[in-house]
Amino acid sequence: MDPVAILDHQYTVAAYAITWAIQLGYLAWVGLRWRAQKKRSPR
Amino acid sequence: MKRAALIFSVLLTAALMLWGWYQALFVAPDEQTMHEVQRIFYYHVPSAMVAFLFFAISLAGSLGFLVFRRGHPQRAQMADAWAVAGAEVGVVFCTVVLITGPIWGRRAWGIWWTWDARLTTTLVLWLIYMSYLLLRRFAAGPQMQTLAAVLGIFGALDVPLVYVSNRLWRTQHPAPVFGGSPDSGIKDPRMLAAFGWNVLAWLAWGLLILALRYRVERRQQQIAAAEAQAALDA
Repeated sequence: MDPVAILDHQYTVAAYAITWAIQLGYLAWVGLRWRAQKKRSPR
Repeated sequence: MKRAALIFSVLLTAALMLWGWYQALFVAPDEQTMHEVQRIFYYHVPSAMVAFLFFAISLAGSLGFLVFRRGHPQRAQMADAWAVAGAEVGVVFCTVVLITGPIWGRRAWGIWWTWDARLTTTLVLWLIYMSYLLLRRFAAGPQMQTLAAVLGIFGALDVPLVYVSNRLWRTQHPAPVFGGSPDSGIKDPRMLAAFGWNVLAWLAWGLLILALRYRVERRQQQIAAAEAQAALDA
């Protein structure tokens, strides 16, 4: 396979993976805050 | 009913994300000069569009807080919650833009970063909203929300500057894809469809997270109010 095409593929996969890591990481962080609040909630 | 609506929103967003991903990687054709790496466009540009929208929501929230803070404290708190939720989720999307851009640039231009107008104004935008979030995190006292609202309004002033930067100045960043020169725009309908689906998908994802973050902020306000009342009663 063409080494340029392999590099292109790796960069594309990296960009997509990092995007998902950031978005899911943030969602998890908000979820943790939500759960922590439930314990302190005044009701 | 609320639970059913939430489940429906989550399922719809998940379906849109999967469909957008499939369109971007398997349906849209390779671009002629950049080939596969151009597919970063389908995540990079929608993320920028959603970030701009959420900074606009933050601006509306900040303005709302300043308008309502004297006469309608309850409305002011709701506006403030929208302001912080919009700023925080906007920063997340802006972070994606600032990371996927250099990855794409490294392959397309041979460099990770250059101090051109588009890149620099975007970085400044990110820094302003990061300082907004840090102010909210570490400042205390009754004036914090007012100061944050003012900073949020100043931060939003950079959004139109980012948008017009590659129209006003010669930049390394490409010319506008939409609304630029007469021959600008995406010509291939499959590329246009992949782009449109990803805009929809990231918008749905962003709105879902924004709604969750808003709820967390509102609950935080209620907890803080209840704790303050309990301290007064003690």
